[in-house]
Amino acid sequence: MTIRAIAASVMASLLLIAPAAHAQEKKGTGPVPEMSGLWLVQDPGSGSWTDWFDNVPKPKLQPDIIADNQRMAASEAAGNVVNRAPRTAACPIGNLPMMMASSPPINIVASRDEVLMGSESNRGRFVYTDGRPHRDVKAPSYVPTGFGDSIGHWEGDTLVVDTIGFAPRVCDSRRPVMLVPGGGRAKDTTHLVERYRLVGPDELSVTFTWEDSTVFLAPHTYSYTYKRLPEGIPIENNEEPAVAQPDRQYTTTKAEK
Amino acid sequence: MAVRGLLALVVLVWSTSALAQGGAATARPDLSGYWELRFDSFNVPRAPLTTAAQGALEMRRAKDQDAIRGCVNVGMPAVMDDRGVLDIRQSPAVIGMVARSPSSTRYIYTDGRKHPDAEELEGTTNGHSIGRWQADTLVVDTVGFNERGITAIPGGGYRTSRAHLTESYKLAASGDQLTVTFTWTDPTVFRTPHSYTFRYYKVGAMPEPRVLNCIQNDADRARFLTERPAPARF
Repeated sequence: MTIRAIAASVMASLLLIAPAAHAQEKKGTGPVPEMSGLWLVQDPGSGSWTDWFDNVPKPKLQPDIIADNQRMAASEAAGNVVNRAPRTAACPIGNLPMMMASSPPINIVASRDEVLMGSESNRGRFVYTDGRPHRDVKAPSYVPTGFGDSIGHWEGDTLVVDTIGFAPRVCDSRRPVMLVPGGGRAKDTTHLVERYRLVGPDELSVTFTWEDSTVFLAPHTYSYTYKRLPEGIPIENNEEPAVAQPDRQYTTTKAEK
Repeated sequence: MAVRGLLALVVLVWSTSALAQGGAATARPDLSGYWELRFDSFNVPRAPLTTAAQGALEMRRAKDQDAIRGCVNVGMPAVMDDRGVLDIRQSPAVIGMVARSPSSTRYIYTDGRKHPDAEELEGTTNGHSIGRWQADTLVVDTVGFNERGITAIPGGGYRTSRAHLTESYKLAASGDQLTVTFTWTDPTVFRTPHSYTFRYYKVGAMPEPRVLNCIQNDADRARFLTERPAPARF
């Protein structure tokens, strides 16, 4: 074999290897858009939590959900605005739709295998991006939360997060099931898909699509935009809790203030 | 000429590939993983306390007990010696740490930022942490604490708003162990800097549920935490 032939053979081999390595990097082990940081949801400035929470395209709801929304609205109009549900160990933690819509910034730490999403410096969601499937959310050992069970994967520059396993009920006497923006519900039968994409160096778009045939007549989709707070400082909920008192029946919620 | 050109191209492709691999090889260690503290880390030297700190220990202990009863975020350093598995997640600009006990996520910024000015920094149980890599060691500097949560420091002493913590993180045993050396300084608590080292072991999975659902109004829990236990009868 001539030197020319050897060189051509080596080069051909390297050129074959290079695209494969690049493809592998793109598939999951290589660089992906850096979404880590502190992100502030862009509320158009209604000044009202209810107005902001409902400021999404109206979902097509099941008739019983519409009736339940009307009942809750009447109850609140009648002054029933205090949560009197006892806070017990059976109460699920977290509320994904509220966390993603709330004014405290979302604090994202995106590692290769897992993405942390904290709010107000407290703990929040865990999104597994290591390729694992969902946990068996029907198993007795599964403890449902208001954050559900989230797994994610990258589709190009978009992080797609799939969530199931929400808690069937929450400890709130005013609305015992988690509300979804626009008037829907998130519960044990609900499926959420989120698509996270940087639309600028300091702008993150998240599109939420909720599906649950017991709640929605069609998938309910809306998007939020978040702005990066480059020098933001994580804050901590310094609300002083009451020291455990056996006779205390319910906790003070933000809605009571 | 053609052979020379082909060889040059081969060298170029090879060197680009080697550079890329070299870049990966010299990249920062990834501390991400689930880390468990075991009993071999509880040989902590006694802290050199000031007289004032020695006198305040009982009051601080009672305050810590109230924080436990009230499910207050435990904060540093309790986050780092949590009995549950510690989840560490590393991105290029920030590292997050999540403990199982009631606590805020701890964030360590590695993007070169400085601590905020003192007047801008509202104290937290975890403080404000910035880190920088010195070869394969992550050196973390933390200030801006408050005095809520569990303030007890291993070996003696307690966290105050004047505390300053320096930590060094280094992977060992081919990445299966993580050693962290903590050094606390606080003129109101320690006569000299107080240092100790923990060794964490990597575990494959996070036990569920990941987060302890601490109920501050749980009457049975309150009784358990406050009542003096009756002597055991055999």
